[in-house]
Amino acid sequence: MSSVITKRITQITQLNSILVSKRFQSVAAPANLKTFKIYRWNPDTPEVKPKMQEYKVDMNNCGGMVLDALIKIKDEQDGTLTFRRSCREGICGSCAMNIDGRNTLACLCKIDSEKASSIKIYPLPHTHVVKDLVPDLTQFYKQYKSIQPYLQRKEFPKDGTEILQTVEDRKKLDGLYECILCACCSTSCPSYWWNAEEYLGPAVLMQSYRWMIDSRDEAKEKRKEMLQNSMSVYRCHTILNCTKTCPKGLNPGKAIAEIKKFLASA
Amino acid sequence: MLGFRSVAGSRSTLQTLTRKNQMTFNSLRYFTIPFLPTLPQNPGGVKGDINDNLKHPKSDKLSSSIHWKIEKVLAIGLIPLVSMSLIQGAGVSTLVDLSLSYTLLMHCYVGFQSCIIDYIPKRVYGHWHNRAMYLLTLGSLLSALGIYEMNLGDKNNGSVSLTSRLWTSKNEQVVEEVAK
Repeated sequence: MSSVITKRITQITQLNSILVSKRFQSVAAPANLKTFKIYRWNPDTPEVKPKMQEYKVDMNNCGGMVLDALIKIKDEQDGTLTFRRSCREGICGSCAMNIDGRNTLACLCKIDSEKASSIKIYPLPHTHVVKDLVPDLTQFYKQYKSIQPYLQRKEFPKDGTEILQTVEDRKKLDGLYECILCACCSTSCPSYWWNAEEYLGPAVLMQSYRWMIDSRDEAKEKRKEMLQNSMSVYRCHTILNCTKTCPKGLNPGKAIAEIKKFLASA
Repeated sequence: MLGFRSVAGSRSTLQTLTRKNQMTFNSLRYFTIPFLPTLPQNPGGVKGDINDNLKHPKSDKLSSSIHWKIEKVLAIGLIPLVSMSLIQGAGVSTLVDLSLSYTLLMHCYVGFQSCIIDYIPKRVYGHWHNRAMYLLTLGSLLSALGIYEMNLGDKNNGSVSLTSRLWTSKNEQVVEEVAK
Protein backbone atom coordinates (compact mmCIF):
# COMPACT_ATOMS: atom_id res chain seq x y z
CA MET A 1 0.00 0.00 0.00
CA SER A 2 2.68 2.43 1.06
CA SER A 3 4.70 1.65 -2.08
CA VAL A 4 1.64 2.49 -4.20
CA ILE A 5 1.28 5.80 -2.41
CA THR A 6 4.99 6.57 -2.81
CA LYS A 7 4.74 5.76 -6.53
CA ARG A 8 1.69 8.01 -6.87
CA ILE A 9 3.46 10.85 -5.09
CA THR A 10 6.50 10.54 -7.34
CA GLN A 11 4.18 10.55 -10.37
CA ILE A 12 2.43 13.68 -9.16
CA THR A 13 5.73 15.39 -8.40
CA GLN A 14 7.02 14.52 -11.86
CA LEU A 15 3.81 15.77 -13.47
CA ASN A 16 3.99 18.91 -11.43
CA SER A 17 7.55 19.59 -12.42
CA ILE A 18 6.62 19.13 -16.09
CA LEU A 19 3.69 21.52 -15.74
CA VAL A 20 5.78 24.05 -13.85
CA SER A 21 8.58 23.91 -16.37
CA LYS A 22 6.04 24.33 -19.19
CA ARG A 23 4.53 27.24 -17.43
CA PHE A 24 7.82 29.04 -17.04
CA GLN A 25 9.19 27.94 -20.35
CA SER A 26 8.46 31.37 -21.74
CA VAL A 27 10.78 32.89 -19.18
CA ALA A 28 13.47 30.37 -19.89
CA ALA A 29 13.16 30.76 -23.66
CA PRO A 30 15.53 33.24 -25.34
CA ALA A 31 14.21 36.78 -25.19
CA ASN A 32 12.45 37.93 -28.34
CA LEU A 33 13.62 41.53 -28.24
CA LYS A 34 11.88 44.20 -30.26
CA THR A 35 13.33 47.69 -30.57
CA PHE A 36 11.13 50.74 -30.12
CA LYS A 37 12.46 54.11 -31.19
CA ILE A 38 10.42 56.72 -29.41
CA TYR A 39 10.35 60.50 -29.82
CA ARG A 40 11.41 62.20 -26.61
CA TRP A 41 11.19 65.87 -25.72
CA ASN A 42 10.93 67.37 -22.28
CA PRO A 43 9.46 70.86 -21.76
CA ASP A 44 11.45 71.19 -18.53
CA THR A 45 14.68 71.18 -20.50
CA PRO A 46 13.75 73.13 -23.65
CA GLU A 47 17.40 73.66 -24.53
CA VAL A 48 17.79 69.93 -25.15
CA LYS A 49 16.70 69.07 -28.66
CA PRO A 50 14.12 66.35 -29.23
CA LYS A 51 15.66 62.93 -29.79
CA MET A 52 14.72 59.38 -30.63
CA GLN A 53 15.30 57.06 -27.69
CA GLU A 54 15.64 53.33 -28.11
CA TYR A 55 13.99 50.78 -25.85
CA LYS A 56 14.17 47.02 -26.14
CA VAL A 57 11.16 45.01 -25.07
CA ASP A 58 10.97 41.23 -24.77
CA MET A 59 7.95 40.33 -26.85
CA ASN A 60 7.54 37.00 -24.99
CA ASN A 61 6.47 38.96 -21.92
CA CYS A 62 4.50 41.70 -23.59
CA GLY A 63 0.99 42.16 -24.92
CA GLY A 64 0.49 42.28 -28.65
CA MET A 65 -0.28 45.95 -29.11
CA VAL A 66 2.03 48.96 -29.24
CA LEU A 67 0.29 50.45 -26.22
CA ASP A 68 1.13 47.34 -24.20
CA ALA A 69 4.78 47.84 -25.07
CA LEU A 70 4.63 51.54 -24.19
CA ILE A 71 3.06 50.79 -20.82
CA LYS A 72 5.68 48.09 -20.23
CA ILE A 73 8.49 50.51 -21.05
CA LYS A 74 7.02 53.12 -18.71
CA ASP A 75 6.57 50.55 -15.93
CA GLU A 76 9.88 48.76 -16.18
CA GLN A 77 12.42 50.87 -18.03
CA ASP A 78 11.69 54.58 -18.05
CA GLY A 79 9.07 56.19 -15.86
CA THR A 80 9.58 59.55 -17.56
CA LEU A 81 8.17 58.38 -20.89
CA THR A 82 4.98 60.36 -21.37
CA PHE A 83 1.95 59.45 -23.46
CA ARG A 84 -1.83 59.63 -23.21
CA ARG A 85 -3.83 56.47 -22.76
CA SER A 86 -7.06 55.51 -21.14
CA CYS A 87 -9.34 52.74 -22.37
CA ARG A 88 -6.71 50.55 -24.12
CA GLU A 89 -9.42 49.24 -26.47
CA GLY A 90 -9.85 51.88 -29.15
CA ILE A 91 -12.84 53.79 -27.84
CA CYS A 92 -11.37 56.80 -26.05
CA GLY A 93 -8.97 58.05 -28.73
CA SER A 94 -6.32 59.13 -26.21
CA CYS A 95 -3.39 57.12 -27.51
CA ALA A 96 -3.40 58.51 -31.06
CA MET A 97 0.18 58.74 -32.28
CA ASN A 98 2.30 58.24 -35.36
CA ILE A 99 3.52 54.65 -35.43
CA ASP A 100 5.83 53.63 -38.27
CA GLY A 101 4.69 56.58 -40.32
CA ARG A 102 0.98 56.07 -39.87
CA ASN A 103 -1.35 57.92 -37.54
CA THR A 104 -3.18 55.35 -35.49
CA LEU A 105 -4.24 54.38 -32.01
CA ALA A 106 -1.43 52.62 -30.14
CA CYS A 107 -3.97 50.32 -28.51
CA LEU A 108 -5.25 49.09 -31.90
CA CYS A 109 -1.84 48.81 -33.54
CA LYS A 110 -0.40 45.30 -33.50
CA ILE A 111 3.31 44.79 -33.03
CA ASP A 112 4.72 42.70 -35.84
CA SER A 113 7.20 40.71 -33.74
CA GLU A 114 8.27 38.67 -36.78
CA LYS A 115 9.61 41.74 -38.48
CA ALA A 116 13.19 42.47 -37.47
CA SER A 117 13.05 46.24 -37.96
CA SER A 118 12.38 48.57 -35.07
CA ILE A 119 9.12 50.42 -34.51
CA LYS A 120 9.31 54.21 -34.68
CA ILE A 121 6.85 56.18 -32.63
CA TYR A 122 6.27 59.93 -33.01
CA PRO A 123 3.55 62.21 -31.69
CA LEU A 124 0.79 63.18 -34.14
CA PRO A 125 2.44 65.04 -37.02
CA HIS A 126 2.41 68.82 -37.22
CA THR A 127 1.00 69.32 -33.76
CA HIS A 128 2.69 71.26 -31.01
CA VAL A 129 4.23 68.83 -28.59
CA VAL A 130 3.44 69.18 -24.91
CA LYS A 131 5.81 66.39 -23.91
CA ASP A 132 7.13 63.24 -25.61
CA LEU A 133 4.10 61.70 -27.36
CA VAL A 134 1.53 64.16 -26.01
CA PRO A 135 0.32 66.64 -28.63
CA ASP A 136 -1.46 69.93 -27.98
CA LEU A 137 -4.96 69.52 -29.45
CA THR A 138 -6.36 72.87 -28.30
CA GLN A 139 -7.08 74.09 -31.82
CA PHE A 140 -8.68 70.78 -32.75
CA TYR A 141 -11.09 70.97 -29.80
CA LYS A 142 -11.83 74.63 -30.41
CA GLN A 143 -12.73 73.80 -33.98
CA TYR A 144 -14.98 70.98 -32.82
CA LYS A 145 -16.71 73.38 -30.44
CA SER A 146 -17.14 75.93 -33.24
CA ILE A 147 -19.37 73.65 -35.34
CA GLN A 148 -21.84 73.42 -32.45
CA PRO A 149 -21.92 69.64 -32.14
CA TYR A 150 -25.22 69.33 -30.34
CA LEU A 151 -28.89 68.96 -31.22
CA GLN A 152 -30.53 72.27 -32.00
CA ARG A 153 -34.29 72.72 -32.46
CA LYS A 154 -37.02 75.07 -31.37
CA GLU A 155 -39.31 72.62 -29.65
CA PHE A 156 -38.59 69.52 -27.69
CA PRO A 157 -41.33 67.02 -26.71
CA LYS A 158 -43.04 68.47 -23.64
CA ASP A 159 -43.34 65.16 -21.86
CA GLY A 160 -39.58 64.78 -21.92
CA THR A 161 -39.56 61.79 -24.27
CA GLU A 162 -37.07 61.27 -27.07
CA ILE A 163 -37.45 62.79 -30.52
CA LEU A 164 -38.36 59.96 -32.85
CA GLN A 165 -36.53 59.21 -36.05
CA THR A 166 -37.26 56.76 -38.88
CA VAL A 167 -35.02 53.75 -39.36
CA GLU A 168 -33.75 55.28 -42.63
CA ASP A 169 -32.90 58.57 -40.98
CA ARG A 170 -31.06 56.78 -38.22
CA LYS A 171 -29.08 54.80 -40.79
CA LYS A 172 -27.70 58.04 -42.23
CA LEU A 173 -25.76 58.56 -39.01
CA ASP A 174 -23.95 55.24 -39.27
CA GLY A 175 -20.29 55.65 -40.10
CA LEU A 176 -20.37 59.18 -38.66
CA TYR A 177 -21.34 58.92 -35.03
CA GLU A 178 -18.65 56.31 -34.33
CA CYS A 179 -15.89 58.92 -34.58
CA ILE A 180 -13.95 59.17 -31.31
CA LEU A 181 -12.17 62.43 -32.20
CA CYS A 182 -8.69 60.96 -31.87
CA ALA A 183 -7.42 63.52 -34.42
CA CYS A 184 -5.57 60.87 -36.45
CA CYS A 185 -7.27 61.98 -39.66
CA SER A 186 -6.95 65.73 -39.19
CA THR A 187 -3.26 65.53 -38.35
CA SER A 188 -2.60 63.29 -41.37
CA CYS A 189 -4.10 65.85 -43.75
CA PRO A 190 -1.51 68.05 -45.53
CA SER A 191 -4.13 70.72 -46.04
CA TYR A 192 -4.74 70.76 -42.30
CA TRP A 193 -0.98 71.00 -41.73
CA TRP A 194 -0.79 74.17 -43.83
CA ASN A 195 -4.01 75.83 -42.73
CA ALA A 196 -5.10 74.42 -39.38
CA GLU A 197 -5.95 77.96 -38.25
CA GLU A 198 -8.85 78.20 -40.68
CA TYR A 199 -9.48 74.84 -42.32
CA LEU A 200 -11.57 72.69 -40.00
CA GLY A 201 -10.02 69.36 -40.93
CA PRO A 202 -11.64 65.99 -41.68
CA ALA A 203 -12.66 64.95 -38.17
CA VAL A 204 -14.49 68.17 -37.36
CA LEU A 205 -16.07 68.37 -40.81
CA MET A 206 -17.36 64.82 -40.50
CA GLN A 207 -19.03 65.76 -37.22
CA SER A 208 -20.41 68.87 -38.86
CA TYR A 209 -21.95 66.65 -41.53
CA ARG A 210 -23.23 64.28 -38.86
CA TRP A 211 -25.34 67.14 -37.44
CA MET A 212 -26.34 68.46 -40.86
CA ILE A 213 -28.03 65.22 -41.87
CA ASP A 214 -29.57 64.45 -38.50
CA SER A 215 -33.34 64.49 -39.13
CA ARG A 216 -33.94 65.77 -35.59
CA ASP A 217 -31.75 68.84 -35.98
CA GLU A 218 -33.34 72.08 -37.18
CA ALA A 219 -30.25 74.25 -37.56
CA LYS A 220 -29.23 72.92 -41.00
CA GLU A 221 -29.22 76.32 -42.68
CA LYS A 222 -27.13 77.84 -39.92
CA ARG A 223 -24.67 74.94 -40.09
CA LYS A 224 -24.37 75.29 -43.85
CA GLU A 225 -23.96 79.06 -43.67
CA MET A 226 -21.11 78.59 -41.19
CA LEU A 227 -19.08 76.68 -43.78
CA GLN A 228 -19.77 78.97 -46.75
CA ASN A 229 -16.27 80.39 -47.08
CA SER A 230 -13.16 79.45 -48.96
CA MET A 231 -11.31 78.14 -45.88
CA SER A 232 -13.52 76.01 -43.63
CA VAL A 233 -14.36 73.22 -46.10
CA TYR A 234 -12.85 74.04 -49.46
CA ARG A 235 -9.25 73.58 -48.39
CA CYS A 236 -10.03 69.88 -48.74
CA HIS A 237 -8.42 68.74 -51.99
CA THR A 238 -9.56 65.10 -51.69
CA ILE A 239 -6.12 63.89 -50.69
CA LEU A 240 -7.92 61.17 -48.67
CA ASN A 241 -5.16 60.59 -46.13
CA CYS A 242 -7.97 60.92 -43.59
CA THR A 243 -9.85 57.91 -44.87
CA LYS A 244 -6.69 55.88 -45.25
CA THR A 245 -5.48 56.50 -41.73
CA CYS A 246 -8.72 56.33 -39.71
CA PRO A 247 -8.14 53.67 -37.02
CA LYS A 248 -11.90 53.17 -36.75
CA GLY A 249 -12.32 52.52 -40.48
CA LEU A 250 -14.55 55.57 -41.05
CA ASN A 251 -14.62 57.70 -44.18
CA PRO A 252 -14.21 61.43 -43.42
CA GLY A 253 -13.30 62.08 -47.06
CA LYS A 254 -16.75 60.99 -48.17
CA ALA A 255 -18.41 63.12 -45.49
CA ILE A 256 -16.56 66.21 -46.77
CA ALA A 257 -17.58 65.39 -50.34
CA GLU A 258 -21.20 65.17 -49.13
CA ILE A 259 -20.86 68.55 -47.42
CA LYS A 260 -19.59 70.06 -50.67
CA LYS A 261 -22.57 68.61 -52.54
CA PHE A 262 -24.87 69.80 -49.78
CA LEU A 263 -23.50 73.34 -49.91
CA ALA A 264 -23.64 73.42 -53.71
CA SER A 265 -27.26 72.29 -53.82
CA ALA A 266 -28.40 75.08 -51.51
CA MET B 1 10.96 65.79 -39.94
CA LEU B 2 13.04 66.13 -36.83
CA GLY B 3 13.91 69.67 -37.82
CA PHE B 4 10.45 71.09 -37.69
CA ARG B 5 9.58 68.99 -34.70
CA SER B 6 12.32 70.69 -32.75
CA VAL B 7 10.80 74.04 -33.65
CA ALA B 8 7.38 72.78 -32.59
CA GLY B 9 8.78 71.41 -29.38
CA SER B 10 10.65 74.47 -28.21
CA ARG B 11 7.72 76.70 -29.04
CA SER B 12 5.41 74.49 -27.10
CA THR B 13 7.23 75.20 -23.85
CA LEU B 14 6.99 78.89 -24.33
CA GLN B 15 3.40 78.34 -25.21
CA THR B 16 2.64 76.58 -21.96
CA LEU B 17 4.53 79.25 -20.03
CA THR B 18 3.28 82.40 -21.69
CA ARG B 19 0.84 81.97 -24.50
CA LYS B 20 0.14 85.70 -24.56
CA ASN B 21 3.76 86.76 -24.94
CA GLN B 22 4.00 84.28 -27.79
CA MET B 23 1.49 86.26 -29.82
CA THR B 24 4.16 88.78 -30.70
CA PHE B 25 6.81 86.14 -31.27
CA ASN B 26 7.60 86.19 -34.97
CA SER B 27 8.51 82.56 -35.37
CA LEU B 28 9.19 80.77 -38.61
CA ARG B 29 6.42 78.66 -39.99
CA TYR B 30 7.31 75.08 -40.82
CA PHE B 31 7.24 75.68 -44.53
CA THR B 32 7.63 79.26 -45.56
CA ILE B 33 8.70 80.86 -48.80
CA PRO B 34 12.21 82.11 -47.98
CA PHE B 35 12.11 85.50 -49.71
CA LEU B 36 8.66 86.58 -48.51
CA PRO B 37 8.21 88.28 -45.12
CA THR B 38 5.78 86.54 -42.76
CA LEU B 39 3.41 87.84 -40.12
CA PRO B 40 3.66 86.69 -36.49
CA GLN B 41 1.66 83.53 -35.86
CA ASN B 42 -0.13 82.20 -32.82
CA PRO B 43 1.43 79.01 -31.46
CA GLY B 44 -0.54 76.01 -32.68
CA GLY B 45 -2.83 78.38 -34.58
CA VAL B 46 -4.79 79.02 -31.40
CA LYS B 47 -6.32 82.47 -31.26
CA GLY B 48 -6.97 83.84 -27.79
CA ASP B 49 -7.69 81.77 -24.72
CA ILE B 50 -8.52 78.08 -24.91
CA ASN B 51 -12.14 78.84 -24.02
CA ASP B 52 -12.57 81.66 -26.53
CA ASN B 53 -14.87 80.78 -29.40
CA LEU B 54 -13.30 80.15 -32.75
CA LYS B 55 -14.75 82.40 -35.43
CA HIS B 56 -15.31 81.06 -38.93
CA PRO B 57 -14.37 83.35 -41.81
CA LYS B 58 -17.19 85.48 -43.19
CA SER B 59 -19.81 83.74 -45.29
CA ASP B 60 -19.07 84.24 -48.98
CA LYS B 61 -20.82 81.96 -51.45
CA LEU B 62 -18.88 83.31 -54.41
CA SER B 63 -15.62 81.99 -53.04
CA SER B 64 -17.10 78.79 -51.66
CA SER B 65 -20.03 76.83 -53.09
CA ILE B 66 -20.39 78.84 -56.31
CA HIS B 67 -16.64 78.70 -56.84
CA TRP B 68 -16.75 74.94 -56.32
CA LYS B 69 -19.56 74.58 -58.87
CA ILE B 70 -17.59 76.60 -61.44
CA GLU B 71 -14.53 74.42 -60.77
CA LYS B 72 -16.54 71.27 -61.44
CA VAL B 73 -18.21 72.66 -64.58
CA LEU B 74 -14.79 73.61 -65.96
CA ALA B 75 -13.25 70.24 -65.12
CA ILE B 76 -16.15 68.25 -66.60
CA GLY B 77 -16.35 70.57 -69.62
CA LEU B 78 -12.74 69.81 -70.42
CA ILE B 79 -13.45 66.10 -70.93
CA PRO B 80 -15.40 66.41 -74.25
CA LEU B 81 -13.26 69.32 -75.43
CA VAL B 82 -10.00 67.47 -74.89
CA SER B 83 -11.30 64.23 -76.37
CA MET B 84 -12.67 66.00 -79.46
CA SER B 85 -9.33 67.70 -80.01
CA LEU B 86 -7.44 64.44 -79.50
CA ILE B 87 -9.63 62.63 -82.03
CA GLN B 88 -9.69 65.33 -84.68
CA GLY B 89 -6.15 66.59 -84.15
CA ALA B 90 -5.10 69.71 -85.99
CA GLY B 91 -8.28 69.74 -88.04
CA VAL B 92 -10.50 70.61 -85.08
CA SER B 93 -12.86 73.55 -85.58
CA THR B 94 -11.87 77.00 -84.34
CA LEU B 95 -14.86 77.08 -82.01
CA VAL B 96 -13.78 73.89 -80.22
CA ASP B 97 -10.20 75.09 -80.26
CA LEU B 98 -11.12 78.41 -78.68
CA SER B 99 -13.38 76.93 -76.04
CA LEU B 100 -10.78 74.30 -75.14
CA SER B 101 -8.08 76.94 -74.74
CA TYR B 102 -10.20 79.28 -72.66
CA THR B 103 -11.68 76.51 -70.49
CA LEU B 104 -8.19 75.18 -69.86
CA LEU B 105 -6.99 78.66 -68.99
CA MET B 106 -9.83 79.16 -66.49
CA HIS B 107 -9.20 75.68 -65.09
CA CYS B 108 -5.55 76.55 -64.54
CA TYR B 109 -6.50 79.91 -63.06
CA VAL B 110 -8.77 78.22 -60.51
CA GLY B 111 -6.09 75.63 -59.74
CA PHE B 112 -3.37 78.20 -59.14
CA GLN B 113 -5.80 80.28 -57.09
CA SER B 114 -6.20 77.25 -54.82
CA CYS B 115 -2.42 76.87 -54.58
CA ILE B 116 -2.03 80.51 -53.57
CA ILE B 117 -4.74 80.22 -50.90
CA ASP B 118 -3.00 77.09 -49.59
CA TYR B 119 0.63 78.13 -49.69
CA ILE B 120 0.62 81.95 -49.63
CA PRO B 121 -2.27 82.47 -47.21
CA LYS B 122 -3.27 85.98 -46.20
CA ARG B 123 -2.96 84.93 -42.55
CA VAL B 124 0.79 84.37 -42.93
CA TYR B 125 1.90 86.59 -45.81
CA GLY B 126 -0.55 89.51 -45.55
CA HIS B 127 -0.57 91.66 -48.68
CA TRP B 128 1.79 89.26 -50.47
CA HIS B 129 -1.24 86.99 -50.83
CA ASN B 130 -3.03 89.71 -52.78
CA ARG B 131 0.04 90.42 -54.85
CA ALA B 132 0.31 86.75 -55.80
CA MET B 133 -3.34 86.82 -56.82
CA TYR B 134 -2.81 89.96 -58.92
CA LEU B 135 0.18 88.35 -60.58
CA LEU B 136 -1.89 85.28 -61.39
CA THR B 137 -4.70 87.41 -62.83
CA LEU B 138 -2.25 89.44 -64.89
CA GLY B 139 -0.61 86.29 -66.22
CA SER B 140 -3.99 84.79 -67.05
CA LEU B 141 -5.10 87.92 -68.90
CA LEU B 142 -1.88 87.89 -70.93
CA SER B 143 -2.50 84.22 -71.68
CA ALA B 144 -6.03 85.06 -72.75
CA LEU B 145 -4.62 87.58 -75.23
CA GLY B 146 -2.08 85.00 -76.38
CA ILE B 147 -4.79 82.43 -76.93
CA TYR B 148 -6.79 84.92 -78.98
CA GLU B 149 -3.74 85.63 -81.10
CA MET B 150 -2.94 81.93 -81.40
CA ASN B 151 -6.42 81.02 -82.62
CA LEU B 152 -7.56 84.04 -84.59
CA GLY B 153 -4.30 85.66 -85.63
CA ASP B 154 -3.32 85.58 -89.30
CA LYS B 155 -0.13 83.57 -88.96
CA ASN B 156 -1.42 80.86 -86.63
CA ASN B 157 -4.04 78.21 -87.06
CA GLY B 158 -5.10 77.34 -83.56
CA SER B 159 -3.66 76.06 -80.32
CA VAL B 160 -4.52 72.42 -81.01
CA SER B 161 -2.66 72.56 -84.31
CA LEU B 162 0.23 74.27 -82.56
CA THR B 163 0.33 71.53 -79.92
CA SER B 164 0.16 68.78 -82.50
CA ARG B 165 3.15 70.32 -84.26
CA LEU B 166 5.21 69.34 -81.23
CA TRP B 167 5.13 65.85 -82.72
CA THR B 168 5.05 66.63 -86.43
CA SER B 169 7.08 69.81 -86.99
CA LYS B 170 10.26 67.94 -87.85
CA ASN B 171 8.48 65.88 -90.49
CA GLU B 172 6.98 69.04 -91.96
CA GLN B 173 10.43 70.51 -92.29
CA VAL B 174 11.61 67.40 -94.06
CA VAL B 175 8.61 67.52 -96.40
CA GLU B 176 9.30 71.19 -97.12
CA GLU B 177 12.94 70.45 -97.88
CA VAL B 178 11.99 67.59 -100.18
CA ALA B 179 9.50 69.84 -101.98
CA LYS B 180 12.25 72.37 -102.56
